Amino acid sequence: MAETGAGWFHLLPGAAPSVFLTGGSMLFDVDEDFFDELARDEPEAISKLAALRVEPLDAGDALAPVTALSLNVAQSCNLACAYCYADEGRFGGSPKMMDRSVAFAAVDRLLAQAKGRATVGFIGGEPFLNRKLIHEVVAYAKAAAAAKRVAVGFSVTTNGTLVTADDLRLLREDSFAVTVSIDGGPAQNRKRLDRRQADSSARTIAALAPLLSQPGGARIAARATIARDDLDVVDRIEWLAARGFTEIGVSPVRTGPRGALRLSESDWPKLLVQMIRAADAELARVFAGASPRFSNLWTALRAIHRGTSRPLPCGAASTYLSVDVDGAFSSCHRTVGDEGSRMGSVIEGFDADRRRDFLTARAVDRQVPCCACWARYLCGGGCHAEVAESGRSGCDYIRGWLEHCLRAYRDVATRRPELIARGVP
Amino acid sequence: MTDRIFPRNLTAKAAIKIVGNPVTTRLESGVGNCFPGLEFDHRNLDRRFFPGLVFNFGVIPPILADVDPVDPGLSAASPEDAAQLSQAVNDAMADLRLGGWTLSSIAQGGRTVDLTNAPNMGDPAQFWRLVRDLRPEKVTIVLTKTPPDPPVAPTPPAPPAPAPVTKTLTHYRRRYIDSDTGVIPDVFRPGELTQSLCSPWMHDFRDCACDYWASNHPDIVLGESSFPLGDNLADLDPQAATRPLDWLRADRKSRVAASPLARANEALQLRHYQINTEWRSLAFVLEGHEIGAVYAPGVEQMAAPFASAEELADELTSLCGLEHVVMLEYLYAYYSLRQPAEVTPAHADDLTFVRHELLAVAVSEMRHLRWANQLLWTMAKNGMIAPRPPALTPGLEVPTAGGVRPRALRPLEPDVLADFVAVERPSGTLDGEYARVVATLSRDYPDTMLQLARQIVAEGVEHFARFSEIARLLGSWSVASGAPRPWLRPLKLATKQQASAALDAYQAVLAHLQRAYQFGDIEDAAEIVQGRMAMMRLDEEAEKLAKAGLGTPFFLRRPEEDTRPFIGLPTA
Repeated sequence: MAETGAGWFHLLPGAAPSVFLTGGSMLFDVDEDFFDELARDEPEAISKLAALRVEPLDAGDALAPVTALSLNVAQSCNLACAYCYADEGRFGGSPKMMDRSVAFAAVDRLLAQAKGRATVGFIGGEPFLNRKLIHEVVAYAKAAAAAKRVAVGFSVTTNGTLVTADDLRLLREDSFAVTVSIDGGPAQNRKRLDRRQADSSARTIAALAPLLSQPGGARIAARATIARDDLDVVDRIEWLAARGFTEIGVSPVRTGPRGALRLSESDWPKLLVQMIRAADAELARVFAGASPRFSNLWTALRAIHRGTSRPLPCGAASTYLSVDVDGAFSSCHRTVGDEGSRMGSVIEGFDADRRRDFLTARAVDRQVPCCACWARYLCGGGCHAEVAESGRSGCDYIRGWLEHCLRAYRDVATRRPELIARGVP
Repeated sequence: MTDRIFPRNLTAKAAIKIVGNPVTTRLESGVGNCFPGLEFDHRNLDRRFFPGLVFNFGVIPPILADVDPVDPGLSAASPEDAAQLSQAVNDAMADLRLGGWTLSSIAQGGRTVDLTNAPNMGDPAQFWRLVRDLRPEKVTIVLTKTPPDPPVAPTPPAPPAPAPVTKTLTHYRRRYIDSDTGVIPDVFRPGELTQSLCSPWMHDFRDCACDYWASNHPDIVLGESSFPLGDNLADLDPQAATRPLDWLRADRKSRVAASPLARANEALQLRHYQINTEWRSLAFVLEGHEIGAVYAPGVEQMAAPFASAEELADELTSLCGLEHVVMLEYLYAYYSLRQPAEVTPAHADDLTFVRHELLAVAVSEMRHLRWANQLLWTMAKNGMIAPRPPALTPGLEVPTAGGVRPRALRPLEPDVLADFVAVERPSGTLDGEYARVVATLSRDYPDTMLQLARQIVAEGVEHFARFSEIARLLGSWSVASGAPRPWLRPLKLATKQQASAALDAYQAVLAHLQRAYQFGDIEDAAEIVQGRMAMMRLDEEAEKLAKAGLGTPFFLRRPEEDTRPFIGLPTA
């Protein structure tokens, strides 16, 4: 019996027609006649394709151990970015710093159940407002992890304006994954203002220049936020690359206090055009032998290559949790302070029941309209925190972007196969 | 299926069957196969994880089973401190030969595991897994001398136990696979990797065959090349040389072809009780052929080495020309083939296979051209020869069964195919040309060079098998005599002008390769990427021409011009 139900495959017309199977995220080239038969829903062609279907694995009830924890070491920030989801770092409360006892207890909780590898992240606010604690936690986590035979890694998300030579040494020697929040040059960075309403990009670059030129073990990525009044992608990447960033990603504003900055339905098609422009420029570069740098593209291409097929958009509440200054765990750094996303505390430990309930309720197959979308296992259903705050929007944008990446995959897999097979940025 | 749907990403590839050997036949697929009864026992690799020492992981804690002063791992010149570390291992060997020693601790990357006091280590396999997890980087081990047994009647009071005698040694964990050639290093002696598997006289040995389980014995082999059927086997039984035989057949004289059905073969195999007693009648297999009473050394051992490195380099330069010219001949033949959709459905699968195999051989020749050039640049880098330009000029003649013939671009007519089979026949012409190279490289040249040359020869044997299979398949199509071969497009040689787009692309390939090879094995991504793109352009253009009935005139220059080396052509 041929199945013609929507959502289990997706046709990609073009010079090299192909078909994407949702379950297992499988990509096939097909000849033109076969493509037409599929487009016409001809039973014979459909059943031939259906023979290749695999059912997505049922994740079951088992909870994976938490492998990454982010510590909100400073719920305060020296900048006042207009689009900040975290209320300038305060998450709706008053500015606070994390205490050492809370941080160490959180690390203990992480290591007590980690198997083999664990990641400690520092986030805020601006984490380097609490510099001393970062250094102390790194030393403590390394010693505790060694005793438990766990390999521990570190990451930090920072605006970079406050880092000192000591901090740079820490980032290099302990091989930090450093995510730098910066939107581009002065032209694009207009929302990232300090308390005197001055642009922060020059300070970020000045403080990080030594790390960018000599990263040591650190891996540095720029993360640019795109607000609706400037949807440009290409120029940001160019400007940041010229300052020494070798990995650059962008992310649109979907939530936050100022509606004027959030992307609305009419903005998504425009952003898609910008993303495709950036992707095509990136592909032209790498096909001429250059190294990859536009991480949105490479993340998607590598997921397509592996056939990533996931029931959730990210590791939140599953393998990743965040801890606030008072020691409460939340499903991720976006939901700090939200009582509904609380997952235990450093005193009580990780709350397995709440984590399980959170994940079960959010499985992409249970979401409407996700359950009928061909892209659901590549997308995972969108950021939980954003969906909770402002619903799902821009789904056509996501699908358009994935379609573009699926087409690009074919070329990249032929011309630069080594870039998607390896684990480089 | 495959003519209409082509898998692109990894999950798609896993879901579909494609032409060729299944992945389970590849070495890397054996990673999980660590227990007796499989094709080889991976645990035996780790017995020699530390250069110069051999461990036994069957007991707790692991014991030092042997020392190996001739371990080639101890003569490695890189990394920088390898020689010094090897010296320390050599110095320790005199002590390590005496008495019993156990492996008591392992340290790598700042982590130390004390094997005498590790929790959850009740199973000897845990120790082996620990060693298996080491990275091929620097590792420090501590060996502890086991005390002699206490006297039977202890005389009180016992003296205080002396401090344990230990040795601490550091070296690089052995790389089990050579990164250039994929070859397992010489340090493993014949039989060492299979020594813990089931033995030929056991029932298991009979039943572990490829249709049931990965196996440590051959399933399908070629017969002896001189089987006593008659004076001239080839005349009496022309297919004998390529007919697959079941290695376990009970009637050792049988020349009946093995069946593709395991069940059919099984009925004719040695029975369980027979294998217990008659295992000695099973033949040794070398180079795919069963070997009779006495193994006659082949070409490699008998070939005379070259007197100097420059002479060797001259031969390699000429072999590059040979690889290059047959590659072009094979490509021309490839483009002469119709697409599977253009023939009857009954023949479409055959043609898919033939196209795949012929292209695979052409690609393999491209790889050989690269490897032969690599041998040249390796010699130049090591100062063995004066630097010379990359060898990218196609040869003028091809050695085949009846001597040499001039190079020729021909469609895949049966006589052309027969000629290809002859060129690639083992110990025929092409691999014979490498015999003297191998013989020379066996003497005081870096081991990786020898392995590269051997790999070229080994793949040559594969080419022969592939062409033979193509000949068998196409031979089974019924064609009225005098009628055109249904697998061929009517093709005539294009003029240079007609083929200018294809030839531009081919020139660009050569120019990029020339620049990349000039500097040896430096990672020159830009040149290789652009060369690859030019190659794809060439494929597109050549196929376009072939569809229009035109063959790409791959020889860019007249024969008299190709006596001079190819020198950089401007790229488009």
